[in-house]
Amino acid sequence: MTEEKILTAEEIVKYFIDEFNTKIKDVKIKKRSAGLKKNETTNIWIKIDKGAFKDIIKHLCALQFPHLSVISGNDLVNSIELIYHFTFNYGHRMSEIMLNLSVELPKPNPEIETICDYIPGALISEREKQEFLGIKIIDIPDNKRLFLPEDFPEGVYPWRRDETGPEKLYRNLHEVKK
Amino acid sequence: MLPRAFAQMFKKPWTNKFPAKYTPSNTTRFLEKVQAGKVKINPPVETPPGFRGKIQYDKEKCIGCQLCLKVCPSEAIEFKPEDKKIKIYLARCTFCSQCNDICPVNCLSMSNEFLLADSNLYSKDLIVE
Amino acid sequence: MSKATTTKTTYQIPIGPIHPALKEPVFFEFELDGEKIIDVNVKLGHVHRGIEWASRNRNPIQILYLAERICGICSYCHPIAFSLAVESVADIQVPERAEYLRVIHGELERICSHILWAGVAAHEIGFDTVLYLTWQIRERTLDLTEYLTGNRVTKGITMIGGVRRDITQDMLPKIHETLKYLKDNFEKLRHILLDDKTVKMRTKGCGILTKEDALKLCAVGPLTRSSGVKKDVRVDSSYFAYGDLDINYTTPDILTGEVNGDVYDRIIVRLLEIKQSIDLIEQCLDKMPAGPIVAEPKIPKLLAQLKKVNGEGVGRHEAPRGEVIHYVKLDGVNDAPYTWKVRAPTYNNILPWIPMLKGEQIADIPIVAASTDPCMSCTNRVAIVKDGNKFEMNKEELHRLSVEKTRGLML
Repeated sequence: MTEEKILTAEEIVKYFIDEFNTKIKDVKIKKRSAGLKKNETTNIWIKIDKGAFKDIIKHLCALQFPHLSVISGNDLVNSIELIYHFTFNYGHRMSEIMLNLSVELPKPNPEIETICDYIPGALISEREKQEFLGIKIIDIPDNKRLFLPEDFPEGVYPWRRDETGPEKLYRNLHEVKK
Repeated sequence: MLPRAFAQMFKKPWTNKFPAKYTPSNTTRFLEKVQAGKVKINPPVETPPGFRGKIQYDKEKCIGCQLCLKVCPSEAIEFKPEDKKIKIYLARCTFCSQCNDICPVNCLSMSNEFLLADSNLYSKDLIVE
Repeated sequence: MSKATTTKTTYQIPIGPIHPALKEPVFFEFELDGEKIIDVNVKLGHVHRGIEWASRNRNPIQILYLAERICGICSYCHPIAFSLAVESVADIQVPERAEYLRVIHGELERICSHILWAGVAAHEIGFDTVLYLTWQIRERTLDLTEYLTGNRVTKGITMIGGVRRDITQDMLPKIHETLKYLKDNFEKLRHILLDDKTVKMRTKGCGILTKEDALKLCAVGPLTRSSGVKKDVRVDSSYFAYGDLDINYTTPDILTGEVNGDVYDRIIVRLLEIKQSIDLIEQCLDKMPAGPIVAEPKIPKLLAQLKKVNGEGVGRHEAPRGEVIHYVKLDGVNDAPYTWKVRAPTYNNILPWIPMLKGEQIADIPIVAASTDPCMSCTNRVAIVKDGNKFEMNKEELHRLSVEKTRGLML
């Protein structure tokens, strides 16, 4: 069994920039300290281009198998942004690094490839994003709905802030006689 | 396991006692008798200090700043513009006491009353003003 | 002679992105061959309440109380992860005393949750006496929580930038008395749950999750640790005061020397974690520094500060069931956050149900599903299609099957 190397934040960023120079749009490294001894935790925020997405994930898994925490989504006005939260270096005390990859999908046709062939644990998160944000994930192994009931209308996406949002389904919550 | 289960048979039961030893046949009449002082019931367990029960409002001190409305998570506080005081609906209150913390003149406090159940959500007992 | 036909079974379980208390419906689809399970399919979503959507017109302090009501038993983890995320965005520095106090409350909640789980697991096997015994011990811990925070569940002790109540000198005797009671009873608990012959027969070799599966499916919490993967947010990253305390990963080889990944190992991991939590609370009480308990005591000023901040942040915490992560994006214009994403730990622990249940018998479903500690009691209704006839079994019947298997083993 080879000994697992503990990576630092700068090494990880350099590893990506070496390979995908133009596809990486923005890199930010943030450190926060806590407790009396002021140990630090590192967060890396990277913005990447949609075209190189699958290759970047393959590159990531080759470096060290990450732990995918969750995929979160934002509805910006003209595009939908997906953020993949990965963590590295689990298993070694006080050295975990959190990597947040954000991808922007254009609004008229939001599509992205699946990562379930590299990381099978991403299935539930991807299914949730499909039904809540209305994006299409290509080659997903299981296409059924996850959280919304069967008779929820098609074309209504609860997390969106535009006309496909759930405003019509919002009923008088505060109709309390006072 | 078995010796401990046997020993429990001879010890005092762990659970707290019910208010009455046997269920009364008519609960409302029983409660009326208790109010009148004719029947004794086992008192409820003592609450610790700092327990968050029914809210108490000191009307004189209130200055009508409306800060408590901003932090109430369930919108249980209503502002009365004509006399600049508030009205609290206990049916919606979550007993978080955040309004106590933010009030600049300390006119709100939590008592330790918790027997507040009522069938009418807007009865006199459940509105504090 | 009929060839082995697989029959499809449907089993309904709703799990929301939000986790209400126990006793909830979930939907499974089993494919059975006789009594053995061949394939499992999971369907969720019956208790979805739209909490993240409800946060769109509430300011961060109101969201703290909304987050508390996501789950009854993990009612401390969600507000604390939210406040970690907001503190990361707004760059608020929490005072040291508040960090130690947060650790104490978190560990106290972990003790309550693991003792509750031990009772529920024993109940699924058929040992009701152990259920009453463990919950009796838990009552003392809940009394301590009520004394420190004002309420048994939904504690309301978190504030963005610190905690709301302090632990003063006169509260210390009661804390030490409860900790002593827990330590005295821990050995009895360990002896009942781990040395009993029936428990061993029922749980050893049952519901195995291998190390590769646990890594690939991104499982979290005591479920991965009992399969040998060392993942624990408290040790891996430094938040609260865990960086100063003496803490290590809890895996089953500490007690038995080997890792099997079955239900028995999960009982071992949770019991060892109770012991670790008691030890951590004592370390905190010794080392706690003096000082303020919240970064900004004037709440209107805090709200005005949060209104102007612009950015995104992530907060992670080790709940009793695994890793909780919250993502918050503040836009600097409105009071309410632009996006709030909650991921409760059972979310990641659903996919491991599939490899764990393949090859088991129906009567093992309750104990295997309960051993992952889902934040709700799994089975509401299992619909089984056997040889083309559909019939439904509800929770009581599954439980009865499970108890009968124990009686059968004991004879």
